[in-house]
Amino acid sequence: MKELEPSTNEREFLLAALRQSARIDGRNFYDFRTLRLSFGADYGAVEVQLGNTRVMAKVSCEVIRPFQDKPTEGFLMFNTELSPMASSAFEIGRQTDEEVLVSRLIEKAMRRSRALDTEGLCIVAGEKVWSIRVDIHFLDHDGNLVDAACIAAITALLHFRRPDVTVVGEEVTIHTLEQRNPVPLSVHHIPICITFAFFDNGERVIVDPTHLEEQIKEGDMTFTLNVHKEVCALSKAGGIAMEMDQILQCSKIAVVKVTEITAQIQAALDADAKKRQISRK
Amino acid sequence: MSRLDRTRTSPHQLRPFFSSQNLLNRADGSAQFDFGGSSVICSVVGPAEVKIRDEKLDRATIEVVARPLVGLPGVKDKTLERCIRETLEPLILSGLHPRTGIQIVLQTMKDDGCIMSTAFNATILALLDAGIPLKSILGSVTCIIDAQSNQILLDPTTEELAQAKSTHVYVFDNKTSIPSKESMDVDRNNEAGILFSDSTGLFTEEEYLECANVCFKAAQAVHGFIRTAVSKKLEKEYQQTQA
Repeated sequence: MKELEPSTNEREFLLAALRQSARIDGRNFYDFRTLRLSFGADYGAVEVQLGNTRVMAKVSCEVIRPFQDKPTEGFLMFNTELSPMASSAFEIGRQTDEEVLVSRLIEKAMRRSRALDTEGLCIVAGEKVWSIRVDIHFLDHDGNLVDAACIAAITALLHFRRPDVTVVGEEVTIHTLEQRNPVPLSVHHIPICITFAFFDNGERVIVDPTHLEEQIKEGDMTFTLNVHKEVCALSKAGGIAMEMDQILQCSKIAVVKVTEITAQIQAALDADAKKRQISRK
Repeated sequence: MSRLDRTRTSPHQLRPFFSSQNLLNRADGSAQFDFGGSSVICSVVGPAEVKIRDEKLDRATIEVVARPLVGLPGVKDKTLERCIRETLEPLILSGLHPRTGIQIVLQTMKDDGCIMSTAFNATILALLDAGIPLKSILGSVTCIIDAQSNQILLDPTTEELAQAKSTHVYVFDNKTSIPSKESMDVDRNNEAGILFSDSTGLFTEEEYLECANVCFKAAQAVHGFIRTAVSKKLEKEYQQTQA
């Protein structure tokens, strides 16, 4: 179903508000929406709510044969297929531009930045490696799918526990969850995406755009950083031209945001771990 | 007798229900339904624009999309889509909205057995939330016949399903009353509104009818729950308009 363009009234109201340093939902320019993380009963299931945007990530693993030319490397696969549940503009089988961009950004942020150590997924070189699969389901689209998906994916990978394996010579034993406690994955760093949207020839810059702001924006840029102030990815695909100073300024804002979000993720993971410990006793 | 999931004691006991309505913002109607550890979210958009090639002149076109929890959609999901669509087509008053489309999207959130039943129940709650006109509501339960004990177990978990000799999914409408003590058999009572029945495995005719009986009684609980959930939601909405 084709999506309706925002009306002239909506567009003018949003731009007029921005020129008076206000956003329609009352946020400041550099404020993120309320971020809520909830974990499922199984390890590796996370639901992220960024305002009205809802994304769920589920991590699963299986043992497969590695590529012949990379015998010690495991696999990390992301599935970010957008379903019509998130928005009726998305169709099954036909990938919109937005879908392609979201998929590429997640791959760049997670895989290329080597957030997950794929060498650590090796069980027996050349024969058995772990293949980690992250399914990202988009439930509700109110803008900024990339940031929400990235937070969901990395939190799910941090939350996930894979079965413990012991290798004695040629024999490989994969322990069930009852035999041995499952082991966490080795995540090197936590990449977080921060998306900026530009209006008024680049004069107004906002963080975490809602769906309406995304439809009216003139350009956008996504920074992927971690807490150590390392840039994992920077994506500016089209849109109006931005000056170098503005980009550097955005990077400074992104650092602050990434620190906040990483702290929130850690707090949520710790709270969940404590809850599981109590329920086990 | 203790069931495998250790929280239930009776073979005819359902897992605790949970439901939530109007949780998504982009959809016209949405609902989540849980059978214990199985959870499915359903979103309904409609009546809305439909592609010309899918347009029906005298009724609404119903489209169902089912997405699994893990992996790409496969045969199981396509089967679920077809089953739900074919069950809903006579139930939705599609003649009231000709040349439009009603799109139903299902997403499995947690899987611990009985996803088909969970999906059916989530769908009907979402359709009610979206205000799509219906002839009746439906309620679905699953039961299995255990391979070892030959007992009928209601609402099995994944663990129990692995030991099943046969699996039966039933969907009942709410237009038929509970049969009286005299006519307990479903086959004698012509009014037992079975909208959908899917059975796999090895079973006899008596076993099938007995399962239908057991599930019919359990489906009354599902119907009651749906009624309560919707009336509570309407009460809350009414209170919000009054405040």
